[in-house]
Amino acid sequence: MSWLVVARKDFEDSIRSRWLIGLTALFVLLISAVAYFVRVEGSGEASANLVLQTAGNFFIQALVPLIALVVAYNSISGERKSGSLKLLLSLPHSRADVVFGKVAGRSAALSTAIIVGFVLPAIIFAIGPFRLEIGAYLGYTLLVALLASVYVSIAVGWSAAAPSQRIALGGAIGLYFLFVPFWDAIQFPLQWAIASLPEWLPLSSEAVNTVLTLSNPSSAYSELTFAVFTGEMASLQLSALSMLLFWLLAGPLVGLLVFERRDL
Amino acid sequence: MSAIQLSRVTKRFGDVVAVRNLDLTVEEGEIYGFLGPNGAGKSTTINMLLDFVRPTEGTINVLGESVDTAGADLRQRIGVLPEGFDVYNRLSGRKHIEFAIESKAVDENPDEILDRVGLSDAADRNAGGYSKGMRQRLALGMALVGEPELLVLDEPSSGLDPGGAKEMREIVEAEANRGATVFFSSHVLGQVEAVCDRVGILHKGELVTEDSIEGLRADSDTEETLILTVDDATDDDLDAVRALEGVSGAAIDGSMVTVSCESGAKTEVISVLSGAGIEIQDIETESTSLEELFLSYTDGEGVVEKTDGKTETTPHEPPTPEGGQ
Repeated sequence: MSWLVVARKDFEDSIRSRWLIGLTALFVLLISAVAYFVRVEGSGEASANLVLQTAGNFFIQALVPLIALVVAYNSISGERKSGSLKLLLSLPHSRADVVFGKVAGRSAALSTAIIVGFVLPAIIFAIGPFRLEIGAYLGYTLLVALLASVYVSIAVGWSAAAPSQRIALGGAIGLYFLFVPFWDAIQFPLQWAIASLPEWLPLSSEAVNTVLTLSNPSSAYSELTFAVFTGEMASLQLSALSMLLFWLLAGPLVGLLVFERRDL
Repeated sequence: MSAIQLSRVTKRFGDVVAVRNLDLTVEEGEIYGFLGPNGAGKSTTINMLLDFVRPTEGTINVLGESVDTAGADLRQRIGVLPEGFDVYNRLSGRKHIEFAIESKAVDENPDEILDRVGLSDAADRNAGGYSKGMRQRLALGMALVGEPELLVLDEPSSGLDPGGAKEMREIVEAEANRGATVFFSSHVLGQVEAVCDRVGILHKGELVTEDSIEGLRADSDTEETLILTVDDATDDDLDAVRALEGVSGAAIDGSMVTVSCESGAKTEVISVLSGAGIEIQDIETESTSLEELFLSYTDGEGVVEKTDGKTETTPHEPPTPEGGQ
């Protein structure tokens, strides 16, 4: 299990990264601030999940992809530039071991940071005037970790394929803007274009629309938050989960395909 | 079975030919020194051995397996000290060695290896704070993990002080005594002279000579070096000299032309240069050292240092070549 050895080393390396620690700390403080300051009008105890889903989700959607891309965009292109990749490939690891080891190692490092980071807001929620449903909260935490892992996978794949560090960075910025602020803007004219699909196509425009929406990992994640909070898994949520798993594999695989043919 | 076998290997990077039609064989158990000036194509060749870089043409076999199909398993049997590598700044020296041990799935003690490469005192410090020499030692340590059948060391002495270079040579010899094949590159002859069974000299991507140290030494004994001070000459002028029979190389450094040739060819060299309208102001001859022979093969890339004692000088004009004709 060569990729596991690579993953473990990469975990140990990236968990010590100042970027990872700094950005995660910022993220945790923001969520904690939400837990501390946001108050729900009305009588009785409000659910902590409701706060997370409404106010917290904004920060999560904006920051988690950003942290993941920052932590992973350089994972392979950076090592190629510095030359530590030569040290890695001098040992009996294949290039596939390197790509998937990096995905696993960095996802694990970021997930660990997120899971540890979610403890503080949980305590604040528990102390404050909220009803904290531990199961749903834990599920939500894991879902955020999954979202982070998906973006790590995409970034590692891109990093493996990018011919230079500059392109790796540019691509990571592009991916962030594509998936986070601009997706709706891109989707809107497309939705309009496919609103009147010809009759003979075996696809309804709603179906195409759903695929389009879910193919953004962030939107797929949003769909899944409903499943976590309501405990119900409808077909839409299943599709969303499949889409996340698809990205988890497709990103690194495409990257590997290019990386395999490349001179170091 | 040969440890390393390259046949008709060419590597192009765009328009640049880094390695041209290279045939090279290293036998098992040999210590092979791969010499050449910087930029000769040594690292490209080594990178192709390790499948870091793919050849444009030709086939490469290492330990009996074709490197393009062997995959990662082949590197289980090889120890590598690559050129232009970097360490993981946030991980300690010991972590690096442990990583190599885990990667090769062998049962070895990291402390013994750290001790062997002289890093025991720095083992728990982050490798990011290591000097160039310490990084070099660390990578050598990683290469030694798992008693590899073949050690591929790219410029192993770079960044090491003379003491460190000596320790490096001792490790190379110890590994060879254990039965390993050692293939290492250098741009300094002195580093390979002491340990190598055989050397190959690479220049501009081509293997210009391949011999044992004894063989090279025998060559250098019959050779002489002619050092001419001239008013004005270009490297192009030297092509006519290089074409002469008995001339093994010629180089120019400012107003100093250095020609390695058999004694009998000296008159010809001088008349060719005079014929080209070059004014020869001074002539010296030296018996060729091994170092100079190496430089002559590489068109003098590097610095020729004059050695005292063996130098004869005729500061007169017109020049009269010395030595028996």
